[in-house]
Amino acid sequence: MSTPAEVWSYRTLILNLAQRDLKARYKKSFLGWLWSLINPATTLAIYTVVFGVFLGAVAPVAGNGTTRSFALYLFCALVCWNFFSGTINTSIAQFASSGPLLTRTYFPPECPMLSGMATVALQAGLELGILIAFIVIISNLAWTALLAVPILLLLGCFSFGIGLILGLGNIRYRDVNYLVGIGLQVWFYATPIVYQLEIVPEGYQKILQLNPLTHFVYGMRQTVYSQSLPTLGNWSMMIGSAAVSLVVGWWIFSKFAPRVIEEL
Amino acid sequence: MSAIRVEGVSKKFRLQTDKAHSVKELVTRRDRSAGVDEFWALRDVSLEIEQGSMYALVGHNGCGKSTLLRCIAGIYRPTEGHVEVAGRISTLLELGAGFHPDLTGRENVYMNATILGMNRKQIDRSFDDIVDFAGVGEFIDSPVKIYSTGMFVRLGFSVAVHVQPEILIIDEVIAVGDEEFQRKCFDHLYTLRKQGVTVVVVTHGMATVQTMCDRAIWLDHGVVQLEGDAPKVAQAYLRSVNQAEAEHSTQPITPVSIDEGVDAEPEPEPDTGIAAEGEHWGSGELRITAVVFLAADDSPLGVMPGGGQLRVRIDYESSEPIDNPTFGLAMHHEGGVHVTGTNTRLSNIRTGVVEGAGSVEYVTEHLPLLPGTYLVSVAAEDQFSQHTYDRYDLGWRLRVRQDSDKVMHGLVDIGGDWVLTPHRTIVE
Repeated sequence: MSTPAEVWSYRTLILNLAQRDLKARYKKSFLGWLWSLINPATTLAIYTVVFGVFLGAVAPVAGNGTTRSFALYLFCALVCWNFFSGTINTSIAQFASSGPLLTRTYFPPECPMLSGMATVALQAGLELGILIAFIVIISNLAWTALLAVPILLLLGCFSFGIGLILGLGNIRYRDVNYLVGIGLQVWFYATPIVYQLEIVPEGYQKILQLNPLTHFVYGMRQTVYSQSLPTLGNWSMMIGSAAVSLVVGWWIFSKFAPRVIEEL
Repeated sequence: MSAIRVEGVSKKFRLQTDKAHSVKELVTRRDRSAGVDEFWALRDVSLEIEQGSMYALVGHNGCGKSTLLRCIAGIYRPTEGHVEVAGRISTLLELGAGFHPDLTGRENVYMNATILGMNRKQIDRSFDDIVDFAGVGEFIDSPVKIYSTGMFVRLGFSVAVHVQPEILIIDEVIAVGDEEFQRKCFDHLYTLRKQGVTVVVVTHGMATVQTMCDRAIWLDHGVVQLEGDAPKVAQAYLRSVNQAEAEHSTQPITPVSIDEGVDAEPEPEPDTGIAAEGEHWGSGELRITAVVFLAADDSPLGVMPGGGQLRVRIDYESSEPIDNPTFGLAMHHEGGVHVTGTNTRLSNIRTGVVEGAGSVEYVTEHLPLLPGTYLVSVAAEDQFSQHTYDRYDLGWRLRVRQDSDKVMHGLVDIGGDWVLTPHRTIVE
């Protein structure tokens, strides 16, 4: 079982793997790095038009007391969602693609997973930066926005734990890939991203509260959009789910990854 | 001091003949043990490798060599027993594993060296050496997907040997390169070894084992057959291979019959082994109809024991009387070296007037060839060797196997003996 300390000693490798993936990703593409902005921008535009314009969803007033922007309200949540789903998808792809390497040379199998995580985190950071830029433009910036960083870090831990398990499971059972596609779709709508939690009937609200992502999204909106703080309940859900997911995910992965690699 | 200690290592694999690949199958399959076969790739293997020595793993394909290497490298965990390794390992199980086709050679060198455990500064320092050794020149900044196989392999090897490993594990990869590169690799391995690097190789080249390795282990079906001094192990292994080959070659491999039509390419004759390969030409007044390699007791031979008697019978047929034709024979090593060539004219043999079917024989009492494969050419010419009636270039394969414990290098045994003269002690 690889200990975090052992994995840490391979940090150069993790960074290099991440660097390699980033470099390879946009080789031979005309727009290159811009693609990592075009994708989320398109999603944001679609949801803003469909939900904000066609369906007339409205956002609460922002923390500065004057602006009301559905697009930015949505963007806060999408940063969280993209980070989460990105981590899951990358983890699955990463373990599958590093299989050949893992059977030919020894290094902790957590390394490629972490490097995949790093590329997703970079993307999340980029999106957060753009979000903050817009927040500044509408003069809605407050110190609470700083809390977005720990919130995203916790979200990263939560996503990574799940990603580890799914990445491993995908090698053994090819169904995982398909299930993840459906699962992510359900999870997206089970999280108050394109709608506010408050518009949901109360009984359902209780159920949605059980979804850890609800709290991450809420926390993000509170700190960045509303200039306020997440509740204690939010914090405990975020910290609790991140810890459980990371510990369980790491444990399962470390225990079973070597066995799975042997059968590749 | 031992760098690697393997104690009682066994490795079991599960051969899942009908593996549950979907969650549904996992749930619905009643009897999960069905279809799972166990397979022991290694059985109770123990060995110890001295630091700074070169150690070889030999055995036929599928004998467990690679599994053992992977256990030593830490990629596989032994089912039983344990492996102790003292030092940083660099593995070379597949050259260029981890090269990303779209990235340049430079980027891949950095990547690969990190996988093998180097940090950026160390790579910076060795980078020029790596590129020099690989000989990829200005291609270092091109994507590796445009590399030739040779360049790809050279770059991979170069990285692996320049990462300053304490233990280097190599799996049959050197065989990929060309002659010059192979020599360079071995030279480099020799240098590394002198610097105290422990080298573990899997190889089929017994010459490598005998000349370069200190100790070796011979595995068969995961079980140790012999462990000890490299030359001894190599010889024992070679003997068993020869035996197996001799048992398999009950039917003669080499003789050939040639079809009636002279111009027609000789077709393979399944019952007589092989037909002539290589080039074939001639005017056809006199035709070579068969070439047979015979043992002392007249039985056709598939594999020749080195040092034994060899008779090459050339059957011919002439459509008209031909005065004093010349029959010739040549042998080339499969590597291209011309070993010998002679004919009846050079030997001052008069063959007389030849008409109809007949045969000549070339007999050597003690074939001086060392184990290997040799290509035989046969020709029938006129008495001045000016005109070719029929000629087959490199048409037959003569396999020579080792028949004694005596091991030599090269192509021929020139039959010398070592004589020791008492040495003089210089007294002041």
